[in-house]
Amino acid sequence: MSNQNDHHEASQKPPGRKEMSRRQFLTYTLGGATAYMVSGAVLPMIRFAVDPILHKGSKGNFIKVVEVSKITNEPQEFSFELQQQDGWYSSTATLSAWIRKNDKGEIVALSPVCKHLGCTIGWNNDKGYPDEYHCPCHGARYTKDGKNLAVAPKPLDEYTVKVDNGWIYLGQIVPNKHVS
Amino acid sequence: MAHGDKSNEKVVFVGDSRVRKGKGFIVPPDYTAYPGKSEAFIPNFLLKEWMVGVVVLVGFLALTIAEPAPLGYPANPNANIIPMPDWYFLFLYQFLKLPYASGQYVAFGILGVPGVAFLSLLLAPFLDKGKERRFYRRPVASSLMILSLISLFYLTNVSWTHYQNELKATGQVPEHIQREEEAREKRAKGLPTSSAIQQKEIAIVDKEDTAMETFKKAGCVACHAADLKGAAGPSLRGVGDKHNKDEIMKIIKEGYEGKMPPQYDNMIAQGITDKEIDHLADWLSKQKAAK
Amino acid sequence: MFKGIYNWVDERLDITPIWRDVADHEVPEHVNPAHHFSAFVYCFGGLTFFITVIQILSGMFLTMYYVPDIINAYGSVEYLQTKVAFGQIVRGMHHWGASLVIVMMFLHTLRVFFTGSYKAPREMNWVVGMLIFFVMIGLGLTGYLLPWDNKAYFATRVTLQIADSIPVVGPYLKELMQGGQIVGAETLTRFFAVHVFFLPAVLLLLLVGHFIMIRRQGISGPL
Repeated sequence: MSNQNDHHEASQKPPGRKEMSRRQFLTYTLGGATAYMVSGAVLPMIRFAVDPILHKGSKGNFIKVVEVSKITNEPQEFSFELQQQDGWYSSTATLSAWIRKNDKGEIVALSPVCKHLGCTIGWNNDKGYPDEYHCPCHGARYTKDGKNLAVAPKPLDEYTVKVDNGWIYLGQIVPNKHVS
Repeated sequence: MAHGDKSNEKVVFVGDSRVRKGKGFIVPPDYTAYPGKSEAFIPNFLLKEWMVGVVVLVGFLALTIAEPAPLGYPANPNANIIPMPDWYFLFLYQFLKLPYASGQYVAFGILGVPGVAFLSLLLAPFLDKGKERRFYRRPVASSLMILSLISLFYLTNVSWTHYQNELKATGQVPEHIQREEEAREKRAKGLPTSSAIQQKEIAIVDKEDTAMETFKKAGCVACHAADLKGAAGPSLRGVGDKHNKDEIMKIIKEGYEGKMPPQYDNMIAQGITDKEIDHLADWLSKQKAAK
Repeated sequence: MFKGIYNWVDERLDITPIWRDVADHEVPEHVNPAHHFSAFVYCFGGLTFFITVIQILSGMFLTMYYVPDIINAYGSVEYLQTKVAFGQIVRGMHHWGASLVIVMMFLHTLRVFFTGSYKAPREMNWVVGMLIFFVMIGLGLTGYLLPWDNKAYFATRVTLQIADSIPVVGPYLKELMQGGQIVGAETLTRFFAVHVFFLPAVLLLLLVGHFIMIRRQGISGPL
């Protein structure tokens, strides 16, 4: 008798439509066990891998940059250092800001990162367009307030500014609120 | 054997090639020769194997949750620590301490015993060629294996016990336990728990001093950069640890080892006063790494 | 739709026989723990493979955070273990799994030995299996150094000292493994490369050979 080995073919009557055959039942159980084993082993790893996107960005601390008295209507560049923690690696990043007082007397600190493709802009560095920010990479230009004039799609970002005891403190970078 | 003798089989070739026509991927062995019920691999048999797998996985996950993987302190060649290999090397580690496996006999200790043992294990089928499979009918092979197992367990145990005694004698705690406890204490106090070595960047001392203005105006920034980290020239952060004020003054006046030209006259020409330069040198000499 | 894609591929490559062979081959009763409880000893091979798969997966995920560099290696391991969610579990899987794989493989080897399953015609599979054993030991040895903590550092110094005392080739072997005069930056990158690329590649080749031979020859008969 060779068909005693065959559970699934000749030795059983074909099951009815609604009935579950032994083979089907075993297949489902096997599928369930497999799914459990895969998820038990892999889910922790997936969570491990996606951890960085689930971390909320830390609120930047305000950093002391310059005395208010030094700020004029003309933009000036000031650099400052930021302690940053990049995973296990802590380092000091040097950032810079173009700071001026606008017509309403508010202090505006613009980020020097061009909104076109991320080069570094400079003030008044193109003789053809005086009193504008100019990006050397693709010729993007911005007004004193950071409003985009050419090439760039958006105005320059700005730092959140806090004035305390005669000093300017800069915080995180946000989209420009001073130009419409 | 499960395979029949196939020498009488007619060989069929594919087309006009010399490639034999096969019967499929692999001809499965025929188990009708074996007694009892055989069953299909999927789903019947694999399900049973998976059940064992599920139990193992649950135990395994429980272990990983209950017991963090050990981690000691960062490697330090001067650390005072009893070196211990992973547990499955302990037998070898202990064996090589035996009198006839160390010192002038170390070559024998390595090649003579473990080398021969592992080589004969690798070649076991060619050393133990009899048809008999039951272990109790293969006294030589089985007793050699059992002897090796006993010595394996014995050596591992001796090594581990010795390690434990040594820990007790020297009053040491294994580093991973020490680190975990330290981290727990720090966490309770709200301090950072990391034991990693942080590379400290030297900060600028007295950043708001007027000397910073002189530093920029005098053109020092061209080589040493506005943040003092250096560009064409070296970093000046912590320069006060290397040179005192008089030395710095001398460097400004006479240059430095042919790498830096004298700057003093240039500075005066740019309208910087002698007093300001003196103050600059003083300020630079105060640039010391924070202790 | 999947059926359509499957049929399209199958028409061209005739893939059905490959998986049907794996799925439908008959497994004899004497290795089935449902029939004889003592047959659980036949599970160790499968469990070794299962744990090996976990090792490969968890290792792949660990390299997302790990750096093989003496300054940052420890920091990155500490970071992934303590700061990253489930880091303790993923590193735990890799660490404890390394031990478990050795245990399972040891038991599997003993089962094959004491049932005499390595005898003709399965000699080659035994040799391949032993090579897998050595590769696993090598993986354990090279992986031990990677966290770059004191235990790793000193254990590796001892291992290299042992390699050094092999007659004639020892000193060269030591320097080759060490990648220089001291256990340091070059040793770590070497061990990393061997642990992550060389040995796993060899391991996969050997495993494929092991499995194909098992299917060709079938499981050994009952005693």
